Amino acid sequence: MLKQITITFWLALLFILFQSPNAQAVDARSLVEDSFNYMRGKSSVATVVMTVHRPDWERKMTIKAWTRGRKNSLFYIDSPPKDHGNGTLKKGREMWMYNPKINRVIKVPPSMMSQSWMGSDFSNNDLAKSDSLLTDYTHSIIGTESLNGKKVYLIKSMPKPDAPVVWGMQKLKIREDLIWLSQEFFDEDLAPVKKMTTFEIQMLSGKLYPKVWRMRKVDEENKYTELNYTSLVFKSDLPDSLFTLTSLRKARR
Amino acid sequence: MNRRAWNMSFIKFRHFFIMYLQLAWRNIWRNPRRTAVILTAVIIGIWSMILLGSLMRGIAVGMIENGISTLTGHLQIHHKGYRNDPAIENSITDPVVVENALREVLPKGSSWTARVRVSAVASNARHYSGVTLVGIDPVAEAKVSFIGTAISQGRYLNPGDHNGIIVGEALLEKFDTKLGRKLVLMSQDTHRENASRAFRIIGTFRAEMEATEKQFVFVMRKASHKMLRLGDGISEISILLPGKPDNPEIYDRLMTALPSEQFEVNTWRELLPFQTAYLRILDGFMWIWYFVVFVAMGFGIVNTTLMAVFERMREFGLLKALGMKPWWILREVLTESFLLLVTGMIIGNILAFICIYALSGSGIDLSALAAGAEYAGMTRVIYPAVALKDIFVSNLVVLLLGILVSTYPAVKAARFTPVEALAHT
Repeated sequence: MLKQITITFWLALLFILFQSPNAQAVDARSLVEDSFNYMRGKSSVATVVMTVHRPDWERKMTIKAWTRGRKNSLFYIDSPPKDHGNGTLKKGREMWMYNPKINRVIKVPPSMMSQSWMGSDFSNNDLAKSDSLLTDYTHSIIGTESLNGKKVYLIKSMPKPDAPVVWGMQKLKIREDLIWLSQEFFDEDLAPVKKMTTFEIQMLSGKLYPKVWRMRKVDEENKYTELNYTSLVFKSDLPDSLFTLTSLRKARR
Repeated sequence: MNRRAWNMSFIKFRHFFIMYLQLAWRNIWRNPRRTAVILTAVIIGIWSMILLGSLMRGIAVGMIENGISTLTGHLQIHHKGYRNDPAIENSITDPVVVENALREVLPKGSSWTARVRVSAVASNARHYSGVTLVGIDPVAEAKVSFIGTAISQGRYLNPGDHNGIIVGEALLEKFDTKLGRKLVLMSQDTHRENASRAFRIIGTFRAEMEATEKQFVFVMRKASHKMLRLGDGISEISILLPGKPDNPEIYDRLMTALPSEQFEVNTWRELLPFQTAYLRILDGFMWIWYFVVFVAMGFGIVNTTLMAVFERMREFGLLKALGMKPWWILREVLTESFLLLVTGMIIGNILAFICIYALSGSGIDLSALAAGAEYAGMTRVIYPAVALKDIFVSNLVVLLLGILVSTYPAVKAARFTPVEALAHT
């Protein structure tokens, strides 16, 4: 009897010893992945007001956005009328842009990937490589805190050694119900570069979702880009034909 | 004319000649101050012609050497169309054919290297910039271009460096980064998709021009092949010939050895059109410079000689009265000019060579004006380069034109009559 207990104890100990680091890593990874999937949904149709704020000016534009899975998305600008119809299609890691004024589709070349998207604080790369967080990083939970009675996981994401990413580290805050609270980008000296924060978590299309997303460069208080969801509908699927160059040209009105 | 008579006339001529020289030499130094003034004009003229000429040559030589070593070489082979559109689709997909041809055609002592060369974007967390990604074979490359001797920090590429990258000092500074840090390169691969790869900075290089340091980043050719899904393809082959940079014979043989519908062979003169044009302008410019210097100097010579002639009017009148022919007087004055010019030229040349020698050690450092000098494609330091042709031409110009302008006062002197000279007080 005693022997059995001892064996069980040792087995349990062994199990804990060998499993725990792995178990935690899997945990962090699955947490990030689940959260990513939760935030993105299977497919979504949204209207977003994007505000680009600078110390001496501010600009708002309304964007219609369709996403499907991790890979596909389509955006186009609805207002102001000057920019109406400007569209961006993303498939995998490739991007195309459409400008109705010249009636041309341009495939975004590597040289433009680091440039900002539509004058915002997001770069084309932020959009094209949005799933890079899942593929190019290893995640670990470095702590928890509580916010309004909910548990919040602090996650440190380090890039894999040869991953083609510019960041030296990312830090995420994910609430226990999978809602993304913030994502902070660090350079290789682990000094913060920019930070995305979400606000106003409320029911949107039947699930809790942050209505406002803000991307801000760390050392510039007065420069940020804010995304405000005015409508968001999650769907189980969207047709293939939506994510094509023809669809991009049509600038869905 | 028999031999004896000829001998007599030769002796007479020699006698005359020596007499002229002696007379002229003594006449020159009758008024040392005036002579010194003309000599100064001649010395400065010839000195500036030679020194400035050698500096301009130096600029040209520097530009061309720098151009050739900055990944140009004496000859280059590309896939047809690469020069018009340096895109990855225009790569040489089967370099073995070219390499075999090169082994047959190139003379002993020439070195060559194959590279991958595409435009790319380098980025880190805070900066991004367009660069030219050069995939090299480090051993062969070091013999052909500047990069082998230009490493300033860290080390050169080793065959084992699968993700090592060498960047210019200026780029390192611009990107606010240092050795050991990551640099992500993005470009388009052969499938027309975005290719990106992370590299670690293992070394930096210094180049003659800041633009070069900002433009080129070097990685292993293997690494670039993998990144761009290029197989064994290359963008260009750069060849350095032994001896002189121009070798039309080798060029022709290469042209016949390589099928022209597939490959393009270019000389450095075609690859560096700016430098070639500069070389062409240079010769014309030198002539203009000679002309300018000479006009200033020529007026000085005419003026002073004319004054001297008028001052010596009574002397010329006396010589005439004693039976000297006008032609002899003309020769007399011209010989004086000739001696003055030759003396000035000797001193001027010596001074110019002393200056050139002094400058050849350290050169003229334009680093302080580097941005402006770079705009014109000039190197940071100018070393004077002496071309025999330039020295010969500038001396000849001074001598011939100097004697030509002295004919005017000489003719004046020859025309004085004894009566005029008597009337002149």
